[in-house]
Amino acid sequence: MTGTWLRGLLRRRRGTLIATASGIAVAVALLASLGAFLATSKATMTQRAASGVIVDWQVQTAAGADTSAVLEATRRAEGVTSALPVQFATTDGLTATTGGTEQSTGAGVVLGLPADYRTVFPGEIRTLSGSPDGVLVAQQTASNLHVAPGDKVTVARAGLPPVTVTVVGVVDLPYADSLFQKVGAPPQSQPAAPPDNVLLMPATTFASTMGPLSVSRPDLVTTQVHVARTRTLPPDPAEAYISVTAAAHNLEATLAGAGLVGDNLAASLDGARKDSLYSQVLFVFLGLPGAILAGILTAAIAGAGAVRRRREQALLRTRGMSVRQVVRLAAVEALFVGVVGGLVGLAIAATIGRFAFGSTGFGASTSSALSWTVGAFVVGLLIAVIAVLVPTVRDFRESTVAGARARAHRERAPRWMRFGLDIMMLAGAALMFAITSQAGYSLVLAPEGVATISVSYWAFIGPALLWTGIALLAWRIAYLVLGRGRPLVARAIRPLTGNLSSTAAAGLSRQRTIVARAVVLVALAVSFAASTATFNATYKAQAEVDARLTNGADIAVTQSPGSSVGPEAATAIASVPGVIGVEPLQHRFAYVGADLQDLYGVRPATIAAATSLQDAYFQGGTAAELIGRLGAQPDAILVSDETVKDFQLAPGDLIRLRLQDGQTKKFITVPFHYAGIAKEFPTAPHDSFFVANADYIAKATASSAVGAFLVDTGGQDTAAVATALRDKLGAAARVTDIGQTRSAIGSSLTSVDLAGLTRVELGFALVLAAAAGGLVLALGLAERRRTFAIASVLGATGRQLRGLILSEALIVVAGGIIAGAVSGWLLSQMLVTVLTGVFDPPPEELSVPWPYLLTTVLVAALAIGAAALLAAQRSRRPAVEALRGL
Amino acid sequence: MKPRPGATSLVTADSTSHAATSGTLVAMQDVALTYGSGPTAVVAVHGATCQVPIGARLAITGPSGSGKSTLLHLMAGLEHPTAGVVTWPALGEDPLGRPGLVGVVFQGPSLIPTLDIVENVALPLVLAGTTDEDAHELAMHALDTLEIDDLARKLPDELSGGQAQRVAIARAMATRPVLILADEPTGQLDRATGAHVIDVLLAAADLLGAAVVISTHDPAVSDRLTTRWRVRDGLLSTTELSTAHDTLGVPR
Repeated sequence: MTGTWLRGLLRRRRGTLIATASGIAVAVALLASLGAFLATSKATMTQRAASGVIVDWQVQTAAGADTSAVLEATRRAEGVTSALPVQFATTDGLTATTGGTEQSTGAGVVLGLPADYRTVFPGEIRTLSGSPDGVLVAQQTASNLHVAPGDKVTVARAGLPPVTVTVVGVVDLPYADSLFQKVGAPPQSQPAAPPDNVLLMPATTFASTMGPLSVSRPDLVTTQVHVARTRTLPPDPAEAYISVTAAAHNLEATLAGAGLVGDNLAASLDGARKDSLYSQVLFVFLGLPGAILAGILTAAIAGAGAVRRRREQALLRTRGMSVRQVVRLAAVEALFVGVVGGLVGLAIAATIGRFAFGSTGFGASTSSALSWTVGAFVVGLLIAVIAVLVPTVRDFRESTVAGARARAHRERAPRWMRFGLDIMMLAGAALMFAITSQAGYSLVLAPEGVATISVSYWAFIGPALLWTGIALLAWRIAYLVLGRGRPLVARAIRPLTGNLSSTAAAGLSRQRTIVARAVVLVALAVSFAASTATFNATYKAQAEVDARLTNGADIAVTQSPGSSVGPEAATAIASVPGVIGVEPLQHRFAYVGADLQDLYGVRPATIAAATSLQDAYFQGGTAAELIGRLGAQPDAILVSDETVKDFQLAPGDLIRLRLQDGQTKKFITVPFHYAGIAKEFPTAPHDSFFVANADYIAKATASSAVGAFLVDTGGQDTAAVATALRDKLGAAARVTDIGQTRSAIGSSLTSVDLAGLTRVELGFALVLAAAAGGLVLALGLAERRRTFAIASVLGATGRQLRGLILSEALIVVAGGIIAGAVSGWLLSQMLVTVLTGVFDPPPEELSVPWPYLLTTVLVAALAIGAAALLAAQRSRRPAVEALRGL
Repeated sequence: MKPRPGATSLVTADSTSHAATSGTLVAMQDVALTYGSGPTAVVAVHGATCQVPIGARLAITGPSGSGKSTLLHLMAGLEHPTAGVVTWPALGEDPLGRPGLVGVVFQGPSLIPTLDIVENVALPLVLAGTTDEDAHELAMHALDTLEIDDLARKLPDELSGGQAQRVAIARAMATRPVLILADEPTGQLDRATGAHVIDVLLAAADLLGAAVVISTHDPAVSDRLTTRWRVRDGLLSTTELSTAHDTLGVPR
C-alpha cells in the first residue's frame, strides 16, 4: 500500500513533491554551506593567528636555574622545532654624541642574540637601514639618540664602567610588545609599552660587553629560550588554543620551576577563538534567518497542496482507512521529500563549499563535519515533517471528514492576531535593542583571566523579535487590507481586472490568509536579502575604511626615522605615473608630561583630499569642523580621549608639549591649545596621539621633516604605482599600498571569509526571493486551476483570466516588497548596531548595495510575473482533467 | 419554482430573436474526439452527426464512460473535435466567445469556493460585461426565481449537494441562455433531490424558452425529456426518438 501510494504521488503529484524537496534542499544547503563557511573561516583564523606569531614561546629561565638544562628540556618538548637562547640585560641608559651634541636616554634593554636568530625567527627583527650583522639599534632609540649606522653608543652598566659599541644598523621590532613581555605575569601586570631604548647585539658581543654584569648584578641579566613550534595545529582556533596551552603547561611541569612559558602562540590563538565566536554570531544573525525562511517556504509549498491532500485523505478515510494508516502514508511522503531534499541540499552545499570556500567539508574537524552534515540533514527531515506530517495529524485532531473536504471556509483572524502578538514582539524588539545597543555592550564575552569565552546570545533576541514581529505585522496589514479594505483593493486592481474588480477583490478577501502568507513570504525573502546585503556591504565598506585608516591612503611612503626629507619631496613622488595627489604628513614624537605620544602635523586645507577622514574618527564636531579649527587657529591641537581624561582638559586649554628641535636636536617646549578629540587618524596608532597644524610644528621645531607622504592614486593600480615608487625611492623610504594593508589587517574572521559567506548568502537570498514569489504563487494558482476552469467555462476571456491572476500577483509583489524593504531597513540598522563589535571603526551610516537589492526585487517580481502569466496561459484553455472534474 | 413578477424579463428579445433566425442551435457533422495518440489513444466520440433544435428537451443517455460528457463539451464548445465540424447555426461561430448564450450545469460542485452564492451566480454576467450592480440584481432575481435567495450570502462549501446544483442552475439561467447543457446534474444527488433539481431545471428552461440537453444514465431523468439519444462506446445513436411528452417537466 505504501509503495503504491508513493508511486502514485510520484506520478500524479510530481511537481509538488519536487517543489517541496527543493525547498528542503535549499534549507539544508544553506545550513551546510554555513557549516562550510564556519569550517574554513575557523581554519583560516587558526592559520592566520599562527602565522602572525614569530616566536611561539618565550621560556623565561628562573633566577639561578641552569640555562642550558632549560634549553635542552625545551628542545625536547613535544612540538618544538627550534629553541634558541636570548639574553636580556638592563642598562641604566644609553648615550650618543652626534652633530656635536650628546643625547642620553633613560633605562633601556640590551639583547644578546645567537647568530642564527634571524634565520629561525624571520620577521622578528626588521632592518630599516644599515647592516643586519653587528650591534643594532631600535628605531625609536635611534630617533632618541640621533644615531645612524656607524655612530657609537655608550651603554651604562650598573656598578661597572660603561662600554661603547658601534651601531651597524637601525631596526624595527614589530613584535616588541611580546618580545619585552613580563613572562608569567597576568595581562594587567604587563608593561604598558615596550621599552623605548633597545640595543641588540650578537651573543658574542653581548658576552663581552654585558657578560660581566651577569656576574656583578645577576638580577639585571636574564635568559629566555625562544621557541618555534610545529604549525600542525587543530583547525578550530579554540582547539588549537587548548592544544598549545596544554603543551606549554606540560613544559612548565617538566621544567619544575626552572622556567616559565610566555605563550605568544596561545595569546594569538586566544584572539582567533574570539573571532571564531564572532563567526558563529554572524552565522546566527545572517545565516539562520535564511535557513528558517527556507523552512517556512517549504511549509508554504507543501501547504499549497494541503487542501487537495486533505480531500484525498478524507477520501481514504471514507473508504475505510484508519487514521494511523493515513498518517503513515503522510509520514512516507514526508520522509521521501525530506531524504531527497536533504541529500540534494548536501550535494549543493558541497559544491558551493568547493567553489566559494575551497572546502567540501562541513566542519573544521571530523566531529564538527559530521555534526554539521547530520545536523543539516536532520533539519531537512524536520522541515519535511513539519510541512507534510504535522498538518495531517492536526487535521485529524481538529476537523471532520466533511470539514476536510471543504475548499473554503469563512475567514477568521488567527489567534495570534487577536492577541496582538506582532505588536508585543515589536515592543520586545525595541526593548531588547535599547538594552543591547547601550555603549559598551559586547557580544563576545571574554572576561579577563577566564579561560573560556562565550557569546552573549541575548543580543540575538532583538533582531529575532523584530524579524518575526514585522512578518506578523505585514501579515496583519495584508489581512486587514484584503478584508476590510476590499473596496480599496477593488479600486487598486481595476486597471487589471476591469469590471471584474469587485469579484476579484471578493475572491482575494475570502482567501486573504493564503494571500497574506504569500505577501509575508516575499517580505521575509526581500528582508533577508536586504539586511544581509546591507550588512555585508557596510562591513566591506568599513573594512576598506579600516585599511585606509591603517595605511593612510592608497599608498603611504614612510620616511626612515631621523630622516629630514621635507614636503618638497612630494614633487618627485607626484611625477610617478598614476599618482594623482601627494599629501605630506609630519610624524614626530612629543612628550606630554612623562608620556611619549605620536604627533601628526597636517596641512588642514589639503589633508582631507588625500585621505579619508570620517566623522566617526573625531569627537566634539565633524571631521571638517575639527580639521577646520587647526586651519583657523595654528596652535590648535586635537588630542585623544584618554589624554583629555588624564589631564582633565577643557576646550581652549593650553597644552605644553616637548618636541625635538630640528636644529639643536634638543627637546623644547611648544605651546598648543586643545581644540577637540581625535579617536582615530590615518596611520596613527589606536591609543594616544596628537594631530596639529604642520606649519606651526615646522615653525616651532625649525624642521619641516615629513614622516610619511600619503599618495592618492584614485584607487587605480595601487600595486603597480607602489612598485614604481619603490623603484624610484629605493631603500630611503618604505612604500606600502592599501592592498598589502588589506591583507595585513585581515587577520580577523570577517575580512577573511565574509566574501565567501556574502556570495553564498546573497545567492541563496535571490533563490529564496524567486521561490517565495514565483513558486508559492504558482503552486497556489495551480491549486485553483479548477476555479479558473470554471471561470473559463462561464465565458471568461483570456484578458479577464489574466487580470484575475495578475491582480493577486500584484498584491503579493507590492505588499511583499514594501513590507520587505521596511523590514530589511530596520533589520539592517539593528544588525549593524548590535554587531558593532565586528566593525572597526564603527560605520557612520549603512552602505546600501542598491544594484543587488534592485536585482532581488526584480528577480522576485519577475518570478511572480512569470508564475502569473504561466497560470494565465494555462487557464486560457482549461485542461481536459479540469473539465472532467466539474 | 415560483414564477415571480418580472421573471419573464429574463428572456430577452435579443437571444430569442437570434435563435429564431435558424431552427438549429447545435449541429454536428461526423464529429470525433480522440484523446492522446498512438496505442494509448482513447476515442471518446466518433462519427457523431446530430442537430439540437430550438426548444429541444433532449436526454443523452448511456453508461458511464460512453462519451456523454464529451459530447456535451463539444456542444458547448469547451472541447474541439479532432475530426468533423461543430456549428451553432442559431448562435454564431463560438458560443464561448459570446458568454451567456449557452448555460452549462456540471455534475460536480462547479461553484467557485471563494465567492459567495450571489457572486457565483452573478459571475457569468460580470464576465459578459454587465455592471456589478446589474449583475447582482439579476443574480438575486435568478436565485429568487428558484426560491433559493436565502442562500445568497452563503459560501459554496456551506451548501448541500442539491442546493449547490440549484445554484448552478440559477447561474446557468442568470444570463438568459437559449441552450442549457447539463452534464449528469443529478449524478451526485439522491433520487428525491435529483428529481427536484430536474424540476427546477426544466421549469427554468420553460421560463426562458431555452433548449435543454441533459446527459444522464438515470432513466428517471431521461424519461422526463421528450427526446433521448443514446451513446455507447463513443457512438451516438439519434434514432431512439420519443414524443410521449407534450408537457415539459412532467414525467411520463
